[in-house]
Amino acid sequence: MATADKHSVTAIVVTHDGEMWLPAVVAALASQTRPIDQIIAVDTGSLDTSTKLIKSARIPIIAADRNCGFGDAVALAVAKMPTHIEGSSEWIWLIHDDCAPAPTALEKLLEAIDDRPQVAMVGPKLLGWHDHTHLLEAGVSIAGNGARWTGLETMEYDQGQHDGIHDVLAVSTAGALIRRDIFEEVDGFDSNLALFRDDVDFGWRVRVAGHAVIATTQAIAYHAQAAATERRSVDVEGALLNRPLLLDRRNAAYVLLANSSWWMMPWLTLQIFSSAIARSLGFLLAKLPGYAADELLAVATLVFRPATLIKARKDRKSKRLISPRIISAYIPPRWSQIRLTAANVVETLRSKIIPVAEISTNSSIESLDEEDLLVPTKSNQWINILRKPEILGYLLMSVFTLIASRDRIGNLMGGALAASPSGARDLWRSYFESWHQVGLGSSHAAPPWLVILALASIAVLGNIPLLMTVLFLLAPLLMMWSAHSLLGKLSKNRFITMPASFLYAMSPVALASINSGRLATILILVLAPRVPFILSAWKSIELNSWRRIYGLCLLLALFNAFTLTTTLISFGVIATAIFFDYQSFSVGQDKLIFLSRIYRRLTLLFVPFMLVAPYSFEALVKPSRFLAEPGLAIAGGSTPLVLMGNPGGIGALPWWLASPILLVLIVALFSSTSARQIAQLGIIFLSAAVLFSVISFSSHGNSGHAIMWTGSFLAIVTLTSIAAGVVLLDRLRSTLVISNIHYRHILAALLLIFTSLYAVTSTVWSLTSGATSPVQSGRTTVMPAFLTAEPNTKILVLREISNGGSKSVQYYISRGTDIILGQPDVAPGQIHEIESAAQQLIDGSGITSSKVLAAYGIKYVFVKNPFNPTIIRTIDGLGGFARTSATSSGVVWRVSGAVGRLIFTAKDGTQQVLQSGEIGARTTVPGPGTLTLTESFDRSWQVVENGYRLPRLRDAHGLSQFQVSESGEISLIHDGTIRRGWLSLQLIGIVLVVVLALPAGRRKREISESELA
Amino acid sequence: MIIKRPLIYIAALSTTVLLASLVNVASTGRNYSQTYPDVVCPPRLSGLNSQVSVSPSSTQFQNLENRSSKTVPFKTTRYVMSKSAVVIAAQGVTPIAWQSRPGGWAGGVLCSGPAQSQWFVGGSADVTTRGHLIITNSGLSDAIVDIQSFSENGKQPVKSINLKSKSFASIALDSLAPGDHSLAVLVTPRSGRVNSFMIDEQGAGLKSLGGDFVNAISAPATDLMIPAVPNEIQSKVHKNPSNHTLRILAPGNVETQFTAEILTTDGRFIPVGLNAHTISAGVVADITFSPSIAAKVFAVHITSQEPVVASISTPLISNGHKDFVWSTSVPTLSPLTMAISGLTPLLTFAGDSISVELSVTFLNGKKRTSHITGTDIAAWRAPANAKTVTFISTNKNTYGGAIVTSTDGYGYFPVEAGSVLTRVEVPNSNIRVLNP
Repeated sequence: MATADKHSVTAIVVTHDGEMWLPAVVAALASQTRPIDQIIAVDTGSLDTSTKLIKSARIPIIAADRNCGFGDAVALAVAKMPTHIEGSSEWIWLIHDDCAPAPTALEKLLEAIDDRPQVAMVGPKLLGWHDHTHLLEAGVSIAGNGARWTGLETMEYDQGQHDGIHDVLAVSTAGALIRRDIFEEVDGFDSNLALFRDDVDFGWRVRVAGHAVIATTQAIAYHAQAAATERRSVDVEGALLNRPLLLDRRNAAYVLLANSSWWMMPWLTLQIFSSAIARSLGFLLAKLPGYAADELLAVATLVFRPATLIKARKDRKSKRLISPRIISAYIPPRWSQIRLTAANVVETLRSKIIPVAEISTNSSIESLDEEDLLVPTKSNQWINILRKPEILGYLLMSVFTLIASRDRIGNLMGGALAASPSGARDLWRSYFESWHQVGLGSSHAAPPWLVILALASIAVLGNIPLLMTVLFLLAPLLMMWSAHSLLGKLSKNRFITMPASFLYAMSPVALASINSGRLATILILVLAPRVPFILSAWKSIELNSWRRIYGLCLLLALFNAFTLTTTLISFGVIATAIFFDYQSFSVGQDKLIFLSRIYRRLTLLFVPFMLVAPYSFEALVKPSRFLAEPGLAIAGGSTPLVLMGNPGGIGALPWWLASPILLVLIVALFSSTSARQIAQLGIIFLSAAVLFSVISFSSHGNSGHAIMWTGSFLAIVTLTSIAAGVVLLDRLRSTLVISNIHYRHILAALLLIFTSLYAVTSTVWSLTSGATSPVQSGRTTVMPAFLTAEPNTKILVLREISNGGSKSVQYYISRGTDIILGQPDVAPGQIHEIESAAQQLIDGSGITSSKVLAAYGIKYVFVKNPFNPTIIRTIDGLGGFARTSATSSGVVWRVSGAVGRLIFTAKDGTQQVLQSGEIGARTTVPGPGTLTLTESFDRSWQVVENGYRLPRLRDAHGLSQFQVSESGEISLIHDGTIRRGWLSLQLIGIVLVVVLALPAGRRKREISESELA
Repeated sequence: MIIKRPLIYIAALSTTVLLASLVNVASTGRNYSQTYPDVVCPPRLSGLNSQVSVSPSSTQFQNLENRSSKTVPFKTTRYVMSKSAVVIAAQGVTPIAWQSRPGGWAGGVLCSGPAQSQWFVGGSADVTTRGHLIITNSGLSDAIVDIQSFSENGKQPVKSINLKSKSFASIALDSLAPGDHSLAVLVTPRSGRVNSFMIDEQGAGLKSLGGDFVNAISAPATDLMIPAVPNEIQSKVHKNPSNHTLRILAPGNVETQFTAEILTTDGRFIPVGLNAHTISAGVVADITFSPSIAAKVFAVHITSQEPVVASISTPLISNGHKDFVWSTSVPTLSPLTMAISGLTPLLTFAGDSISVELSVTFLNGKKRTSHITGTDIAAWRAPANAKTVTFISTNKNTYGGAIVTSTDGYGYFPVEAGSVLTRVEVPNSNIRVLNP
């Protein structure tokens, strides 16, 4: 073939089962504007019609083995070419059987090298085979962890943004033009790289041999990437199990380790290993265990064959002319990789959360019609924004929240909410510790909501007080948003759904839960409206994928982490559903469907329960936990209040501020719309709330009985009532508009008036007296500062607590400070002896009270003011208490005798207080005797002396006692092995369910052609 | 069908509400412990005889200054006291201590539990006084006690004393307001388990002018009843009727007017000068009156604009020697039991309409019930071999006092409980106390 330039170009087409793309490839070669001087095809044992196609195009073909690699195939072709004439400009143009160059590709490639004699390799811009706007590559490099680096975003759209001629480390072999003399000089492609990464390796070697590699975007080729996208099998030699990813990752590591400097090897090895592990974890999360195994196997296959690497490095060293440091300019910096990865993650999440809305086809040009486009339009859009119910609703709620929360900015405490620790570290510690220094000490499992709060606090740099402030401040807005998203499914009328959402956030249960610090109810109010989004069909639950089921399991586990009342609710709902399932099955339903339903429902019951173990398991032996909310055990309201949708208790709306919840539910029961089913559900939950409102129990450090808080039930009642109301109004409006006035008009008017009245009065109440709710910031602490001077000292605190208008004397053992989040949940129960001692302190009969308190290591008695002066005088009169101070905070007495955490009693009965840390201790015992630990008895307490565990007994007070046989150093420890074991199991369980709930990744061969572009 | 299902749901909800209302055992979560605090009887001062009436004989006691907490039974119903005060686990029976100086005077006082404050309206700090204020600390910790005295010269500086655990102090009355004649003393413990007693004893040289316990008053009030004031009727022996002295104090900051009405079996009247009498604030007033009445005992009802404390001193002749009795105001009568073995008190009840049902237990264990009725005032003398008297029921606004006659002199004690049943809420363990 005649050519018009000085160059001679031989195209080498390598085919391997490429019949799908070959016709287009051959046509592309034939239609080049700069004709190709010679074409040689090498077929590597194709099983399809590739050979026929090549032959029919009259292209000479060389047959090779099926396991022949790409580099070897090219080498075969080069060997068939005439001997290279010194001084001639002879080029080989590598063409894959799935790569079709544009007609001007060769011309542009040659143009790029015309005035660049140093260039040994030039590549075109590679675009998608199907989508010609999808930019695949314009030069390629390799990252430190072996990733193929193109510098492009995923599915990047080609708008010419990368156009130009770029100096690159390498270009893809698809469409690459290589100087024949240089190709032969560097011994062609490495035969160890049969497929994948041979291009980068070749470019690297060309670079260190002193030549240049460029990519010119004026030359374009369309590449199907058939091997990488698993469109054909990988049969090359060394391709273990014919897995492309394995080969790719193995070759990537090979290229890095064979070409890099020696001193870079340790760092690169570390990166390759850590990257392989990270990526395999990612593939496991995406439920692609095969790919995960590829990652790890790839590294292993290389590590176990070091001789190959050593030889490769030796060969490269002999060809290297310049320092390998020049390559560093083409290796992408780490921050670029991080930035690109982060951008990809954010974009993926964004597309999941906020899908791209359909663009309206109504352009401004169309709407303006005949108006003069040049005349500026008079815009008053800012007013229109306020007229939108969504904007107005959220704005009103924001203003309302800010005013109502004016006393809730800062470190919140009060009601059921204990004070926040200063940092998330304390919450993590509380969760992981096996022993809690609260009261007389406790080994109860800490509730999982501590971890959730600690995780959430990352957003506020671990500042828990700030997190709680933000949470309570945003809670009404979140409730409103959440409810609105659900109500939006029921009605398109925003003038109905927005006020309804507002009412949801202003409902009695919402206000009471915020005012009294009920974290679990707040969470349920926020997240309950999301449940229908996850589980679309309840009756025919088998229609939901297992992924959805596990997604709901995670949500239910989140609820369970805060309150196990949701387990009770789940149990009731699921048991009822199973009952009806069985009824359907007994009348002839398919057994498979029945079993499918049962499995799914039981999964929803048991998996969330297991995920919060061991906290949930402890509830099995202490069932009151199923009824408790997190934090302090504060009583709920009476049955009449609950019937009106008001959970009652401190911080709740007064009884005269009746909400329309019950009224709406009853009216909706008579509706012929779907409001009826919703109302039926609401009535069932309301009945349950009424029943539970008569249960009183002791829990969470309160030995007295407190009426159950039914907020969790009422949250669902409120949601159903509002949802039913929305459906009613939505349908009713159209009916009322077209009909004459009759009872429906009157009923609707009454309902609206009642609802409006409630909205106004509850808003006013919230802004006035409701703002001074139990949960407030800036409260003074109970324990005076001077009592914290002796850290971890046990102090019996007596205080008059107001409860429902009356006051009662109550006590607890403090460790010198007020309680913090999580401590009430693990607080130990009442000890009878201390209860008697406290009682006798008060009634004046406590001659032995001081001895009892001293036996339990209680060093001080603190009576918090205001307190009955008679009782103070009574304590004054008792023996064994020496008054040490009387301030405005209260009166403090010191308990006489040897009082401490670790008491050593010698054989002669003399007692000595030993030094002790917060939990463990390392100290010396003076001789044989008895060691008493004044903490609650627990089997995990151990004392080790000279490498032996001392025998543990339980003394008359129920405390741990250890028999010491000789003097020496002892170590007191609380063995947390069991706790750590539970936490490990919990972590494994959570990871497993998260993986099951996450969308499964697809193998490349499962991705459609169009998606691959 | 359209109506049926909604009605079923409404019926179900209604049934649930009904059930909930039926089983609504919303517990208050409160338990109470009821105990009678131990009572303390005053120590025996030098030269005095002292007995305490107790019941039953198995009642446990210990001497105040005994450092151990061990108690022993009395084994008698009339115990002769040593010098030490005694702490008695009386369990609702009020013991009565009777002290006397042979040939001088006699007086009775209730053994009582610790008090927040005690008023003593009586005594003197002038040259004739030999009286004492006795303060006991029956607690196991030290006590601090404030003593605020009032006299005809007004409010005196507060005296504070420290008392070691299980000890008592005897303070001479003339040290409280030296030279002043009319005393009223407020004892307020700041800490400790404190009881106080006052003995008013008068003498001129070696000659005894009599003496008596001044029983304590718990708090000032605008309506007071002194139910038993002995009265010597003019006769061959007693040539002159008794000159009673009403000692009254308005401890507040403003002066007040009071009216004292005498209740006798012949009716009620206000003596001259006791109608709308004005007294200054903080100044002890002694007002002498000598009613011409035939009754041997009468009651005095005092009403005032501001809270006052008051008592009446009555000079009497006993076996030819002078004596006097301090009659103090009492709270309204309520069911209680008093140990009266060895005493034959004349119980006097005052009130608009008196109806008191009482039961006497004799030393031999037998019981007898009596029902005393009357208007304004009624009297009933306990039998000689009575062990206890139990006031079973009483009309509203009835008051009781007792006059005791002995060879050494006369005495008075109020009919009230020495220690009341203390109902203390059993405290619950609640971690909420550690949350602001």
